[in-house]
Amino acid sequence: MYDNDERPRRVVITGLGTVTSIGLGVEAFLEGLRAGRSGAKPITAFDTTGFAHANGCEVDDFDPAEWIHQVDPEELGRATQFSVAAANLAVADSGLTPEELRRRRALVSVGTTDAESRDLDTLMGVQLEYGPDQLAPTVARRAQAGRLSTGIIRELGLVDVEALTIPTACAAGNYAIGSGFDAIRDGEVDVALCGGADAVCRKTFAGFYRLGTIAPEVCQPFDKDRKGILTGEGAGILLMESLDSALARGARIHAEVLGYGLNCDAHHPVAPDRDSLARCMEIAHRNAGVKPEDIDFISAHGTGTRANDVTEAGAIRQVFATPPPTISIKSMIGHSMGAASALASAACALALTEGFIPPTINHRETDPECGLDCVPNEARPAELNVVQNNALAFAGNNAVLVLGRYREAE
Amino acid sequence: MSELVLSAWSVVSPYGVGSAPFSAGIGAGTSAVGELDRAAWPGPFDRCGLVPDFTAAEYVGKKGTRTMDRVTAIAVTAVGRLLASCGDELTAHPEQIGLVLGTGSGSVQSIMDFTRDSLVGERPYHVDPARFPNTVMNRAAGQSAIWHGIKGPNTTVAGGWLTGLLALSYAVRLHRGGHCARVLCGAAEEYSTQRAWLEWHGRGVEERESPLGEGGAVFLMETVADAREAGRTPLARVLATRFRAYADRADAQKTLAECVGSALDKAGVAPEDIRLVAPLGAGAELAAPEEAGIEDALGTARPRWIRCRPLLGDTSAASTSLQLAAVLATAGESGLGPGEAALVTGIDRDGTVGCAVLGGPARA
Repeated sequence: MYDNDERPRRVVITGLGTVTSIGLGVEAFLEGLRAGRSGAKPITAFDTTGFAHANGCEVDDFDPAEWIHQVDPEELGRATQFSVAAANLAVADSGLTPEELRRRRALVSVGTTDAESRDLDTLMGVQLEYGPDQLAPTVARRAQAGRLSTGIIRELGLVDVEALTIPTACAAGNYAIGSGFDAIRDGEVDVALCGGADAVCRKTFAGFYRLGTIAPEVCQPFDKDRKGILTGEGAGILLMESLDSALARGARIHAEVLGYGLNCDAHHPVAPDRDSLARCMEIAHRNAGVKPEDIDFISAHGTGTRANDVTEAGAIRQVFATPPPTISIKSMIGHSMGAASALASAACALALTEGFIPPTINHRETDPECGLDCVPNEARPAELNVVQNNALAFAGNNAVLVLGRYREAE
Repeated sequence: MSELVLSAWSVVSPYGVGSAPFSAGIGAGTSAVGELDRAAWPGPFDRCGLVPDFTAAEYVGKKGTRTMDRVTAIAVTAVGRLLASCGDELTAHPEQIGLVLGTGSGSVQSIMDFTRDSLVGERPYHVDPARFPNTVMNRAAGQSAIWHGIKGPNTTVAGGWLTGLLALSYAVRLHRGGHCARVLCGAAEEYSTQRAWLEWHGRGVEERESPLGEGGAVFLMETVADAREAGRTPLARVLATRFRAYADRADAQKTLAECVGSALDKAGVAPEDIRLVAPLGAGAELAAPEEAGIEDALGTARPRWIRCRPLLGDTSAASTSLQLAAVLATAGESGLGPGEAALVTGIDRDGTVGCAVLGGPARA
């Protein structure tokens, strides 16, 4: 806790970099969120023969050479390519020149579920066919979780920098953003590039499929006929700095990070826990200095599985006397794993500045057990001040982030 | 803001399970790298720093460990032994205890075995659902929390050889941000045939033969006041962590020297107060620049060097945590003395360097 005579710095988001199945770059992403675009289509990442259905939300128009300029894309796995591309986009969006960026002490933290498991899939295929002594050195070298963050350093030529990857699974994006928030708030670093990245892979698809949680066609969070998740991919990287720093350089401010909360159910490897998630939201509200009634909408974890949606809705009702609109962008971009909460944070920041609530698409009839206003199918104009972004992960790792609109007059 | 101290630690290492064999082995400087049983561990290596006779069933228990992989068992064991050494008071408020655990890429054996099952099975979904969570990289941290009922923030950190230092830095930040009252922090790595093949192919030719190792170390970090109240001796204050990056290998030495210099400044420690140095010593091309960079930063100081790498093998993501444990093992039960300081360093092949400065109680 902070001493009373210390004044922690306010932290703002001034750059957004997004690589998603509904658009590359922040403008395309924003347009997709407004229009309620769907990224669902048949998976091409691996041979899907033998699966009765195999839709996903892939980034299918990504040419790494277009988005990565300094590092040879061959040296980077697909998740790291997304991570590096999103970092470049975030820096460009922030208006900081690479030279200005290099002069600042920086933190880079990138969340992930699978890191380069896509490469590990490929290596296993080679191993089965040709033997373990025939694995490609370039692929073996790049198939490491740490690369998701060090790739950004190499691309941007950062020097005074701490880089960590946070593989806290499907809540990792919020974890990574939280660590950047703490580092800037305390004056430890001047700028933070934080978010998450993942690439669609056979391993994760097969696992969720076996659990019976892959939807045959589309993802329908909170719908009474929802059938599960669609695995997705992409990256979201946020550039954060102190409010003073942003004002001094006349930067456009997307949103202010008000605070976040973390906890662990310490109960079940895959099933979420309602009471524990409710506590995590309360921790986030306390840390952010807000009350439940201040939250204008919730960006839910909202995977579209029965277990998640009912548990999450129950936790929300436990904390909120009258739950605010609660949406899931996973209906549009699928479950992009470690990138999910980072992309949802980016969506929240855009919603705050642009004044709309992104929709939950593919919605027909709300599950009475969920009983939430999920802003079905069409974006809703709204004057927003404070929004909440939920994230849950295997192992009961919860992370809730609270963002606020920055108003100049304050 | 309260400074954190390391007040308890536990280790699972090639010397065996527990801090006693580790302290004895590091103190004597005897290598724990030995012949590998090639029948049990096929692959490119014939020597390894393997934790002797380690299995989940033996050390975690038979119940509920059928599908527990090796790295998870190492982590659960290390965390369990740390908690057991501290008594029940530590976990009286489990929601206030954080757990920060470093990993390379989780268990690459678990991940790739799962893919293999999907590729060779009669159906591509004929995979074992009970093993699916093993393929997610927060498994070791998550199972440690579930096994021992730790309900505060639970974070997995990855950063190659620097993982242990990054976990330490993250843990300090987590505490300073008010997210937990105490934090358990460390890293774990397993030996597996699959990891061995990935390392073999990923390494440069000149370092290819260097044996791998495995193990884990976990530390209790708390305020001095909390340690004293619980009757624990602060073993070392965490004074500073620092990281920098180099684009060209020729700059690795200079970059580490700057990094150490900056950490000493932040810590308020003079080079001559550094009593112990534990370098990573990894990679044929990086070990020499690392030692040279440290000497550049320390000038005429003549610390005692603790070189873990030849003793334990390449423990990858667990390396820097085990170096930190080696410092505490060498400092002994009363910890670093007044005015004494210690330095743990690493240079990663991905272009990053890092260090931590620890100190004894401030000189009166």
